[in-house]
Amino acid sequence: MTDALRFEWVRLRTLRSTYWLIGLGLLVTAGVAFIIAFATRNDPLDATNVAAVLTGGAEFATFIPVFMAIIGIFATGHEYRHGTIQPTLTAIPQRSRLLLAKIIMTSLVAVVVVALSLVINLVIGLIFWGEVPSFDAPLDEVVPGYFLLVVLYTILGLALAQLFRGVPSALVVLLVTPLLVEGLISGLSLVPALDWLQPALKFLPFSAGARLLATEPYEPNGGPEFDYLDRWASGGVFAVFVAIILAVAWMLFKKRDA
Amino acid sequence: MITAQGLHKRYGAKVAVDDLSFEVRPGMVTGFLGPNGAGKSTTMRLMLDLDNGSGQTLFDGRRFGTIRHPMREIGAVLEAKAFHPTRTARNHLRMLAAGSGIPATRADEVLEFVGLADVKRKKPKSFSLGMAQRLGLAQALLGDPGTLILDEPANGLDPHGIHWLRDVLKSLAGQGRTIFVSSHLLSEMSLMADQLVVIGRGRMIYNGDVDGFVREFTQATVLVRTPHTTQLTTALGSLDGVTVEALPAAAAVAAATADPVDPAAVAALPAGSQPSGALRVAGTDAATVGEVAFHAGVLLHELTTQTASLETAFITATGASEEYVAHDLGPAPPPPQPPPAAGAETTGGAA
Repeated sequence: MTDALRFEWVRLRTLRSTYWLIGLGLLVTAGVAFIIAFATRNDPLDATNVAAVLTGGAEFATFIPVFMAIIGIFATGHEYRHGTIQPTLTAIPQRSRLLLAKIIMTSLVAVVVVALSLVINLVIGLIFWGEVPSFDAPLDEVVPGYFLLVVLYTILGLALAQLFRGVPSALVVLLVTPLLVEGLISGLSLVPALDWLQPALKFLPFSAGARLLATEPYEPNGGPEFDYLDRWASGGVFAVFVAIILAVAWMLFKKRDA
Repeated sequence: MITAQGLHKRYGAKVAVDDLSFEVRPGMVTGFLGPNGAGKSTTMRLMLDLDNGSGQTLFDGRRFGTIRHPMREIGAVLEAKAFHPTRTARNHLRMLAAGSGIPATRADEVLEFVGLADVKRKKPKSFSLGMAQRLGLAQALLGDPGTLILDEPANGLDPHGIHWLRDVLKSLAGQGRTIFVSSHLLSEMSLMADQLVVIGRGRMIYNGDVDGFVREFTQATVLVRTPHTTQLTTALGSLDGVTVEALPAAAAVAAATADPVDPAAVAALPAGSQPSGALRVAGTDAATVGEVAFHAGVLLHELTTQTASLETAFITATGASEEYVAHDLGPAPPPPQPPPAAGAETTGGAA
């Protein structure tokens, strides 16, 4: 297993896109953190603002989750896009070991990137806050929730690209599902004749996953009226979605021709 | 030693590899031949557990998937450009080395060996097919393996590169390694391989040494030139299993000189007072033909043994099993004037 992990580490390290995606993710979230911190510099320090600064607005703009998911997509998708699956499997023929090494290594990178981003954004926040915010509820759950969300996105990207054995379709599913499909279902549930859809909305995976970062209960604000499950149960919904895709991808990877 | 037993693979209703069994022995180069689409790559993928099918391949008694560091024992390259376009050649090899417990410095060694040291820090997306093949060979040699499995490694190499590859593979075989190389070009294999595995449409056509292949799929023929073709044909007809074919004069020249037909040569050929006709005799040897002619009192102008080339043998062996058959150009437009009749039968009639 250590060999597979070392392989995966060198693979990640020798790909320029790894640096671009991480660099861009850190930069953009730092920028968002700066804007929010600057705009709220005269407001009292509340948990919502602190969470928005620390995560770079990840609750409404999932930069680092998406960029890490793309790193996940490249982990498996590149193997097929560039035909490297053949040399890879002649070096490491145990497919489960290979896939597990990819999951572990990309997840570790995701954890490090989130930690780095939190530290950068905290420093940016401190410039304006002048005091260290208290990490009581809900921040004591939002921060670990952020780690979990990004790791789940990373694994999702990896699983999708393994399932489709390529980069483009995985990218499309990753970007289109939360934006269009979930938006469409939410929108449809507002049609009176289709309001029976509303209880199902809490199971839309990407929307549920975003609740990992929530600092306040869900407010309809003219949108569909329903209640999400609590933070960790909502995270669980997203995790189950990721697990199902990963299980199918894993099974097919074991079964299919490389 | 590689032992493949009952390899079988089907895609839907189409059988790609049909019950292939063969051995690849150490210390020599074994060529794996077949026309395009014969199932060579699929066979190699089955051997390396990349594809699922039935049958099994054992490398010194073990299946590929059970070997702890397969790259250190089996160097395999199935596709020429199997690398990320922006990961340098050096990093590509370092990555595979990391996965196989091979020191990273080995990447520089093999790149030096295949002649890519100057471009090892360059992005391989600009590599030519020949350079990609060299990187592939470097990848195969990374773990200093005892067995090499290479799919069409000479594809895209220039003549100098092919010569180099041939020498490399022969010397690696000379060190006692097991080398299994596929190609659809027999000329390439005839200079490189000691043993052949020839397949067509996934089926075994021949498995044995190169000379045996020629013997099995070519018939040596005897070219006879004589002014008395009819008499000789009758005399040879009394022998069992001998077939005699009269050659038209132009074809006879082509057969004798192996040059494109030259009308001047045709005109110049009948050296004696009588024009001589040509016969191709199969099923016997030159000595017997000479003896028969002597006893029959037939004058001979030429008696030559003709051995078909390896290429001819290959076409004979695989002709019926070509997967993708292209068509010849249509019949040539009729020439403005009918050519002068020059059939051997008409000019050579004697006695």
